[in-house]
Amino acid sequence: MELETLYALRSPVGLPSHPIVFLVLLVLTWALHILAVYVMLGSTALALCGSVLAGGHWRRLSAAMLETAKVAVSIAIVLGVAPLLFVQVIYDPFWYVSNVLSARWAIGFIGLLLAAYWLLYYRYFRNGRETASHLTLATVLGLFLLCGFIMHGLSSEMLRPELWMRWYAPGGHIDPSGSALHDYNPWRFLYFVGLMVPVTGAWLVGYRGYLERCGERDTAYLDWVTALGKRCMSAGGLFSLLIYVSWMSTLPASAGGFAASAGSLIAVVATLALAAGPLVCRAGSGYYRPMLAAGVAILLIAASREALRLKILGGGFGYDILTYPVHFDTYSTLLFFITFAVLGGSTVAFSIALSWEAGKAQGIYTASPRIARLGNASLVALAVWLAQYFLFGFLTMIG
Amino acid sequence: MEIPGLYPTWYEPLLGSGWVLGIIAVIHVLASHTSVGAALVSTWLATVAVRQNRPELLDYVRRYGVFLLVFSYVLGSITGPGIWFSATVASPRGLSALIHSYVWWWATEWVFFLIEVIGIYLLVYLAGRVDSRSYLQVAWIFGVASWATMLIIVGILSFMLWPGQESWFTEGGSLAGFFGPYTVAQILTRTCFMVMAAALAGNLIASGIEEPRFRREMTRTLARVGMTAAILGSLFFQWGLATLPESAQLLLKTRLPGYFVPTLWAILAGIVAYFAALLAQPDWLKPSLAAAMMVALLIFGIWPEERARESMRKPFVAGQFVYANQIIARDVPALGVRSELQLLAEQGILKSHPFIPDPLRRVNPGNQLEAGQALALVYCSNCHGLGETGPRPMTRMLAGNRNADEIERLIKGALVTGNMINMPRIPLTDEEARALALFLAGLPLWQAVGP
Repeated sequence: MELETLYALRSPVGLPSHPIVFLVLLVLTWALHILAVYVMLGSTALALCGSVLAGGHWRRLSAAMLETAKVAVSIAIVLGVAPLLFVQVIYDPFWYVSNVLSARWAIGFIGLLLAAYWLLYYRYFRNGRETASHLTLATVLGLFLLCGFIMHGLSSEMLRPELWMRWYAPGGHIDPSGSALHDYNPWRFLYFVGLMVPVTGAWLVGYRGYLERCGERDTAYLDWVTALGKRCMSAGGLFSLLIYVSWMSTLPASAGGFAASAGSLIAVVATLALAAGPLVCRAGSGYYRPMLAAGVAILLIAASREALRLKILGGGFGYDILTYPVHFDTYSTLLFFITFAVLGGSTVAFSIALSWEAGKAQGIYTASPRIARLGNASLVALAVWLAQYFLFGFLTMIG
Repeated sequence: MEIPGLYPTWYEPLLGSGWVLGIIAVIHVLASHTSVGAALVSTWLATVAVRQNRPELLDYVRRYGVFLLVFSYVLGSITGPGIWFSATVASPRGLSALIHSYVWWWATEWVFFLIEVIGIYLLVYLAGRVDSRSYLQVAWIFGVASWATMLIIVGILSFMLWPGQESWFTEGGSLAGFFGPYTVAQILTRTCFMVMAAALAGNLIASGIEEPRFRREMTRTLARVGMTAAILGSLFFQWGLATLPESAQLLLKTRLPGYFVPTLWAILAGIVAYFAALLAQPDWLKPSLAAAMMVALLIFGIWPEERARESMRKPFVAGQFVYANQIIARDVPALGVRSELQLLAEQGILKSHPFIPDPLRRVNPGNQLEAGQALALVYCSNCHGLGETGPRPMTRMLAGNRNADEIERLIKGALVTGNMINMPRIPLTDEEARALALFLAGLPLWQAVGP
C-alpha cells in the first residue's frame, strides 16, 4: 500500500486537537485498560487453580479471586473504551482496514466477551453449588484469551499494509467475507498475556495488605498469599523477559533496528522491574508498593509498544501521524479535560475513598468530613456540568 | 491521480452488514436505555428509602442494582463498543466522520460511563453499609452521571442525522453540529422512554418480592412511573417528529413500510395498557409477563424505531455529507472536506478506489460480471443484500427485471444523475454502469457461483 493511499484513508474531517495529545492519551488509557485486563485474567486463572486444587488456602483464595474477576472484567471493559476511541482517531487508516479484513472476528469478539462475562456471573451465583466449576472457569479463561488473541490479530494486521491487498483480494478476486484472522505473532501475544502473572502477583501482595488492614488474623493465609504473589512476580517477570527476547527476534523487517533501540530498552527495564517487585515490598502500607511499581512498569511497556508501532509505520512505510490535519475545537477539548480532571477526579476519588473505608469498617461506616466534602464537591461539579451543557446548548441554538 | 479515501468492503451475505450493525444497536439501545432509566429510578427510590428509613425499599434498590449489573451493564457495556466494532466494519468512513468530529465528546461520555459503572457497584455493595448521607451522595452521583451519558449521545446521534446548525458546514465547531432544533425533544423523549424501560425492568424484580403488601406497592409505584413516562414520551416523540428536517419527514412518510408507525404506536399503547392493568390489579404481575413485555419492547418498539432513524437520514449515514456507501458527497468548507462525486464521475471508481484489485481496474468482456460485483459491493451492499436475503435485497429492488439493458437505463437515468431522494448519486462511468447492470441482471444465480 502506497504512502499516498494511507494518507488518503485518513478522515477528511481532521482532528480537533494535536495528534500528540491523542497519542499520549492512547498510551495512558491503554496502560490502565491492560492493567485491569491482567487483574481480570490473573484472578480468573487463580480462581480456576483454586477450584481445581480445592485445598484450604486455595479454596479461600479462589472465592476471593472470583469476586475480583467479576469486578475486574467490568473495569477492564470500561477502561478499554478509551483506547479503542483514541486508536481510531490517530490510526484510523490502519485500524479500520484491519477490522474490515477480519470483520467476522471483530464482531465475534463481542459475542465471545459477552459469553465469558455471563459465564463468570453464572459461576459466581452458583458458587459452591456446581460440581464442574473448574470447567466453567476454564471456559471463561479460554474465552478471555481468545478475545485477547482477536485484539492481538487486529493490532498485528494494521501494521502490515503491504499485505492488505493480498488478504482482501487473493489472486485478484475480492473476498469481502472478513472471515480470516490474517496475521499474528505468538511471541508477542504470549508476552502481552504473560505479563498478567507478575501483575497478578503484585495484586496478591496488595490484597494481603488490604486484608491485614481489615483486621484479618489468619497469618498463615496472609503469608501464603504474600509468598504466592512474590513468586508470581519474580518467575512471571523473568519468564516474560525471555518471551520478550524471542518476540524481538521475530520482528518484521519494517521494524528495522527497534530491538536494539531505547524504546525496546524501556520495555526490558520495565519487565525486569516487574520481576524485581518483591524487593520493594514492605510491611504495612508497603504491601501496596509492588502494585504501584507494576502500574509504572506497564505504563512504560505501553509507551514502548507505541514506540514500536510508530517505528513500523514511520520507518517502514514513511507514515507520520504528526501530519494529521488539525481543526482545533476549543470547546470540546476543554470540555473533556475539565470533565476528566475535575469531575472525574473528584467522583472517582470519592468513590474509591468511601468504598475503601467502608470495606475496612465493622458495621455501618460514617464518612469522615473530608470524604463527605469530596462527595459534595462531586455533586456540585455534576450540577455545574449540567448547567454549562444547557447554557451552551441554548446559546448555540439562539446564535 | 487523486485517490478517494475508500476502505475495503465487508459483506455478510445472509444478513447484510447493515443488519448486523442494526441487531447489535437494538440490543444496546434496550440495555443502555434501561440502565440510564434505572439509574434515575434507583436514585429516586434510594432517596425515598433513606429519607423514610425503609430498609425493605433499600433492599429492593440493591436487588434492582444486581439485576442491572448482570443484565443491562454487561450487555450495555459490551454492545456499546460492539456498535463501534460493527460500524467500523460496516461503515468505516461514517463512523470515522462521527469519531473525528466528536472524539472529545465521546471521551467525556467515557468519563461519565466510568463514574456510572463505579456507581452501580457502590449502590449495590454499600447499601446498608454506609451512613445515609454518603449513600445518597453515591445514588445521586450515579443517577446524574448516567443521565449525562445520554445527554452526550443524543447530540452525536442528532449530528449523525443532520448537523444541528447549517453554519456547521461553513464555520465548523462541534457545538454547532451538536445542538439543533430536535435536541431538546430528543432528550425529553429518550429520558421518558428510558424511565419506561426501567419501570418494565423494575417490575421484573418486583415480581420476585415475597412480602405481598410490599410487592403490590412496588408494582403500583413502578406502573405509575412507567405509565406517566410512556404517555409523556409519546407526546415528546410527536413533538420530536415535528422538529425533523423536511426531507427526513418525507422519507419517513414515503420509504418506511406501512406497518412501522402503527407497530410503534401499538407497542406504546400495549405498554400503557399493561401498566394500567397492574395499577388496578398488581397481583397479575408475574416474572414471565414482565420478561415478555421487555422482549416486546425490544422487538416491536426499538427495532422499528431504529429502522426509522436509519431510514430518515438516507442516503447519508453521517452529518449529511457521508453517503451510506462511504462516499463523501458534499463539501464541508469549514473542515476542508471536498465531495468525491466529481472525482469518481471523471475517473470511475474502479480506477480510483484503492482496494480494487488490478485485474478489475479496466472493464473488459472477460471481467464484466466480476467488475459489476465489485461495483455492487462498493456502491450498494451497505444498504442492500446482493442476493435474496438481507436488507432490501437487490433481487426484489428491480421488480424481477433481469433485462440488463433496462437495468442499465434505470441506473443511468435515476442513480448516475442522483434523481432518487433516498438513494445516493452513483457517478458511474458508461463501462461501469454496463458492468453493474450485467451483474444485477445475473442475480441471484451469478452471486451464488461467483468468485
